[in-house]
Amino acid sequence: MKLLRGVYEGPQSYGILRVAASIRGVHTLLRALPGETYFRTLYGARERTGEMVPVTLSPLREEPDDSMAPGNLTRDLSSVIRRHPKAEIVILAHSEASLLSEESIPTTLPEVEGTGRVPRLVTFPWEQPGMRETEAAELALEDLIRARINDRLERSPYPTVNVFGPPIFGPGAAAEYAEAERLLDMIGVEVNVRVPLGANTKDLERLTRAWANVLLYREIGESATLYLQDEFGIPRVTTPMIGAAGTGAVLRSVGELCQLDPKSVQRTIWAELASTAKLPWYARLEPPETFQDRRVAIFGDFTYPLGLGYALSREVGLEIVTCGTYLTHLERDFLFHAHTFTEGAFVEDDPDQVAARIEAAKPDLVVGTHLEEGVADSLGIPFLPLCPPVSDTPFVGRPLMGYAGSSILADELDHILQGKESNQQETRIQWTTEALQEAAAVPLFLRGRARRLAEEDARSQGSAEVTREIFLESR
Amino acid sequence: MTILNESGIPDVLPPLHAVNDLAQRLPDVLIVVAGTQAEAHLIQCLTSAPSPNLPPFRRNQRVIFAVLDPDDPPQQGLLASRIVESAAGLRGTSLVLLVAGRAAQSLGVDTALEARLVARKLDLPAEVVNPDAPREVPGILSTDLEDNVLAALVNLCPKRKTSDLVETASPAKRSRLIGSLLRRGTETSDSNGGRPVVLLGGALSSGGARVLAAELFRAGVGVAGSVPGSGIGELPPLGEGTVVAVMDPNLTSAATAAERRGATVVKTLMPIGVDGTARFVQDVAEEAGTRTSEVVRARSAWEDLGVLKNRIRGKRIFFTGDTGIEIPLARFLANAGAVVLEVGAPRLDRRFLAGELQALGPDVDIVVSPDYRGQTNRIDESRPDVVISSPGLHLPLVARGHLCRSPRDFLEAGLYGYGGARRILELLVRTMERAETLDSLNL
Repeated sequence: MKLLRGVYEGPQSYGILRVAASIRGVHTLLRALPGETYFRTLYGARERTGEMVPVTLSPLREEPDDSMAPGNLTRDLSSVIRRHPKAEIVILAHSEASLLSEESIPTTLPEVEGTGRVPRLVTFPWEQPGMRETEAAELALEDLIRARINDRLERSPYPTVNVFGPPIFGPGAAAEYAEAERLLDMIGVEVNVRVPLGANTKDLERLTRAWANVLLYREIGESATLYLQDEFGIPRVTTPMIGAAGTGAVLRSVGELCQLDPKSVQRTIWAELASTAKLPWYARLEPPETFQDRRVAIFGDFTYPLGLGYALSREVGLEIVTCGTYLTHLERDFLFHAHTFTEGAFVEDDPDQVAARIEAAKPDLVVGTHLEEGVADSLGIPFLPLCPPVSDTPFVGRPLMGYAGSSILADELDHILQGKESNQQETRIQWTTEALQEAAAVPLFLRGRARRLAEEDARSQGSAEVTREIFLESR
Repeated sequence: MTILNESGIPDVLPPLHAVNDLAQRLPDVLIVVAGTQAEAHLIQCLTSAPSPNLPPFRRNQRVIFAVLDPDDPPQQGLLASRIVESAAGLRGTSLVLLVAGRAAQSLGVDTALEARLVARKLDLPAEVVNPDAPREVPGILSTDLEDNVLAALVNLCPKRKTSDLVETASPAKRSRLIGSLLRRGTETSDSNGGRPVVLLGGALSSGGARVLAAELFRAGVGVAGSVPGSGIGELPPLGEGTVVAVMDPNLTSAATAAERRGATVVKTLMPIGVDGTARFVQDVAEEAGTRTSEVVRARSAWEDLGVLKNRIRGKRIFFTGDTGIEIPLARFLANAGAVVLEVGAPRLDRRFLAGELQALGPDVDIVVSPDYRGQTNRIDESRPDVVISSPGLHLPLVARGHLCRSPRDFLEAGLYGYGGARRILELLVRTMERAETLDSLNL
């Protein structure tokens, strides 16, 4: 048991729903308590497209009654098929409360009335309470692809790749795919299928036409691309496409796998570096003093902190004092990669502990998820919410990947790294022991702010130290 | 009026979403949510009810998630000791609410025992709130957690026995929350020997109780306090001899809790809309021992609404149902001349709402446990002027070209009393006017 003030990931059902709702032609029946259906509301508020999310609730009731009200799993499955005759795949997912109540799972579906067609039912025997969103999303994507692929199709006559990116609710997810597709197109490689966001069930059958898989978002696509590699021999590119160096590396690997002329790929890269990619240009324009002794703390999922960490340390020259992930199941992989650019790599899923780690590293800039905003605020330093989950839902998604993404990163840095010196000038204020004891009782994520408020109060009262009374008054 | 049961899946915002709002509303309460990752994630995702956008993410230090490990359920007493540890860092806590639903039960957590341990160790009251507790009438409303929490607060009110009746109105025990107005009111009621009145409800609209206390004061009835009020230390005495006036139609559990303590719960209309407020004031006054007639006030209130009423007359309104306040809202709008096409009621407690149902006009249809897909089709067919929609349907309906408002917008605007009646109509008129302006643009 853990006492937390926030969570980075949702439960497994949420991960399954994110993947399922990304693919058209998939309908999910969610077995859950009547009070657990927030996905429809969240989908509306996050995506803001006005589409109705293809998720139906099968309410778990105390005592299944004899009425025809929803709640009987078999009947609810039939009703999904009747109401959504176009669904090719029906997924049965369970909420944690329903998994804890341990019911049996039906395995067959009735046919769609009058057509003789029976949609495919996909259930996930690996579902278990306590499993997290990202891991479940990854496994669900693999199972969905397995359910659709029958045998190997002939390779496309011209070079094509599949792009495995983030699912819905990813920050600027659609924009990331678009940027990757734009760049691949420029080197002469067509995108065969975007998975999962933007694909439909038919597309999943066509996956094996591609020459290679480009893994933009490893958290979700890892096991699916491994399956395609093992079963069908489709090679994959796993470098995060973040920063100019990362993007160049991906494009060169794709060029190699697709047997393109390396010179022509390099020419495209140069053209992009000259016109679109502004991060290297920014790094060269700024005087070295801008980046000297600037300490950055990064926290997030897997792809984004690693990609950003690499770009910020190597391409920009900032010091990455700490870099962490909340994905405990990817611990070894993460630490291995993060150690290439920082000494302070860590894995932690309690926001308070993360805040403590960041605070201890004394950074000048925090790059993180929306849960890190509090610690950046309390330290009085700038904050960039660039790693999922973020609560921001812009109408126009901005990519962080590819060359366009590197320019957006350059803009963000340019904006934030100007004029840092001011807050260091003020005289230090002493704290009495009693005041420090009081401050220790404040929750970690609020402590910095409380400290700052108290010091401001002491200053305005003309006191040279923060006493217990000043501290208590300031709260 | 006809009542139809559709036995469908209603679109209702999960009741748990209210945890954050309640923590804001009750600043001296520590809320511990015991469950799995799912509960914590839900509460964090819905920091407040979206209408239609999600408000920016913020954390409240008085909301703590106890995420239980399904493979390693906690030993007895562990949850309590961890809560005690984290409560130590919070100043001014006067109540611990342990919100624990089905998942905590399945993992074998004895929540009642843990709450008792917390109460003993912290020397503070600790109450268990079960959001999944079965109710007499099936179905859920998005406001169920507010109801459960208010029921817990009712149980925390100081007891009141017949023998105390004479002394309870002493200044020391009087509630400070509603200000001098109430104090004067209490004196009035003392002088005419009336029974103390406690307002129950308005958990999500802090000014609501004040507005109604003023209305009651005008009628010569003093209000001793309100639940939730503004602090646990300021809860009014509630028990035998107390008159409890329920402000919201969704507070069935809280009202039952008050009845169990021996208080008289007034059977009347909800103080929403002109006639509702008039009946409410009249009936509460009568129960408290004062005779008053609101006929004149109601008539002048209706006259004041003249212009607004003309704008509403004939407009067709559809309520998909979510919070439970839709029924009195529909009653008022129908009286104001609007055409109410359908009122969705994910749960309908006919006994508790008997008064409201009787007062509902003859042309209003109530659909119990409506199916959201059926409703969407009916809305598409009947093309209402305004849909008062649940959060999950809001965007899809707007995308289909319907004009939507959330029932929560009315709660936030303040819908109680005669002033509230005006605000309800103003909100609707504003909505329609803006839509007309936007429609007239040549894009």
